[in-house]
Amino acid sequence: MYSNEILERFKNPENVGGLRGANGTGKAGDLDCGEIVKIYILVDENEVIKTARFKTYGGVIAIAGSDVACDLLTDTTVEDALKITAQEINEKLEDVPENKLFVAGIIEEAIKNAVEDYYKKQDKE
Amino acid sequence: MERKVYLDNAATTYVSSEVLSEMLPCFNAIYGNSNSVHAFGREASAIVDRARDRIAHAINAEKANEIYFTSGGTEADNWAIIGLAHAYANKGKHIITSKIEHHAVLDACKKLEEEGYEVTYLNVDSTGLVNMVDLIHAIRKDTTLISVMAVNNEVGTIQNIKAIAKIAHDYDIVFHTDAVQAIGAIRLDVKDMEIDAMTMSAHKINGPKGVGCLYLKNGIKIEPLVVGGSQERGLRGGTLNVPAVAGFGKAVEIAVRDIVVNQQKLRSIREYFVREVLGKIDYVTVNGHSHQKVNGILNLSFEMVDNESLLMLLDMEGVAVSTGSACTSNSIEPSHVLKAMGLDEQAVNGSIRFSFGKNISKSDIDYAVETLVKVVERLRSMSALTKAGRK
Repeated sequence: MYSNEILERFKNPENVGGLRGANGTGKAGDLDCGEIVKIYILVDENEVIKTARFKTYGGVIAIAGSDVACDLLTDTTVEDALKITAQEINEKLEDVPENKLFVAGIIEEAIKNAVEDYYKKQDKE
Repeated sequence: MERKVYLDNAATTYVSSEVLSEMLPCFNAIYGNSNSVHAFGREASAIVDRARDRIAHAINAEKANEIYFTSGGTEADNWAIIGLAHAYANKGKHIITSKIEHHAVLDACKKLEEEGYEVTYLNVDSTGLVNMVDLIHAIRKDTTLISVMAVNNEVGTIQNIKAIAKIAHDYDIVFHTDAVQAIGAIRLDVKDMEIDAMTMSAHKINGPKGVGCLYLKNGIKIEPLVVGGSQERGLRGGTLNVPAVAGFGKAVEIAVRDIVVNQQKLRSIREYFVREVLGKIDYVTVNGHSHQKVNGILNLSFEMVDNESLLMLLDMEGVAVSTGSACTSNSIEPSHVLKAMGLDEQAVNGSIRFSFGKNISKSDIDYAVETLVKVVERLRSMSALTKAGRK
């Protein structure tokens, strides 16, 4: 039901875990839809995301997709991070089953929330 | 992947050697059509008769001709629901079933609803049991059929079939039960339990896939579902799969013959497994009834993890489990059974069914537990849900 590429991502995600010193955190999803994604970003003074990490409760696509999202986020400006779409995540994953396409939407939302959180924190400083 | 541990025996089982040797001659030596009148046909027919006798005997049916072979449990369930509803349509168009039935029953009920029938889907309690008072309240003047499964395939809860059948008969209603998970697990006596129609399948009890049967008490009316031949007393068209039927008969005979020893084995396997898992992993709950359950099925909920991820990681380590019925797993949908039992979302999303075979070794169980501990820990370390956030 899943491609080997997706399963490999799922089995060995590279960006899993919390992130000490993260200056942006975003969460999306709920128990009702069965997927909860948390994205942590560490943004430098040039507004470039140096590190992105995730913690995800959910199925294969949620975990593999979160990992892909963190790859997309790394070395991207926060402004560009806001342009990452669910479609982009699904394309990167390839062969996402129809009934799992919605999961990337949750990841996209988590990314947006993380960037917003970063902006909020910057405003306070 | 070196090691493989199969903990999905409620999905299907291997064909035992005793069953296989019963089947093999029917592929080439005895190849007649059991409906043909010549000697080749009569020889095949004798094999079918023997299988019918064995099954009838195993469930204490009055006559062997009350067993009608089908292509499996699904067809028998479909046939029972649709065929009985149609046969009694002049009396009424209301059916009662439960929310935790197999989709073979539920989807047949949906079909009938499209035809204008009304269906009441009974709630179950948190252990998976149908409430008798609810049942009585659901009965109407136009109720013609009650169908409640004997053993639930996801949690293993055993229904009070005899009591339900009694209530059905008090109101002159036909009673059907899906006993696919019950044969070989509990004693089934259609006379004592007052069962009018009962679905069985071969492949859950070390028989072949693609064969099952409907027990239908003589005198109960049914409309055929599969037409096109005079087979099975004109009620189920199609040339019988003689090798499969032969294997089915043998499998039922063995399952009932060995029920006590098998259940003892399964019970100790299950108890050991539960003790190990609960001792080594926190935040696990056992779903289903505490004692009114079959030994072969164990349903556990692991908090903070998703069952699809759990299943896939276990599979990558060679441990085969299920998230419910196999038909559900292709498109992992939250279990309708656990939802009906009122479990919260996290318990539903984190539920795994382990179903044991009697011949599993202790070292295989230990490997499965060890793998489970590792995989659950890993997923929890990755999870957006935490123990602290849980409360």
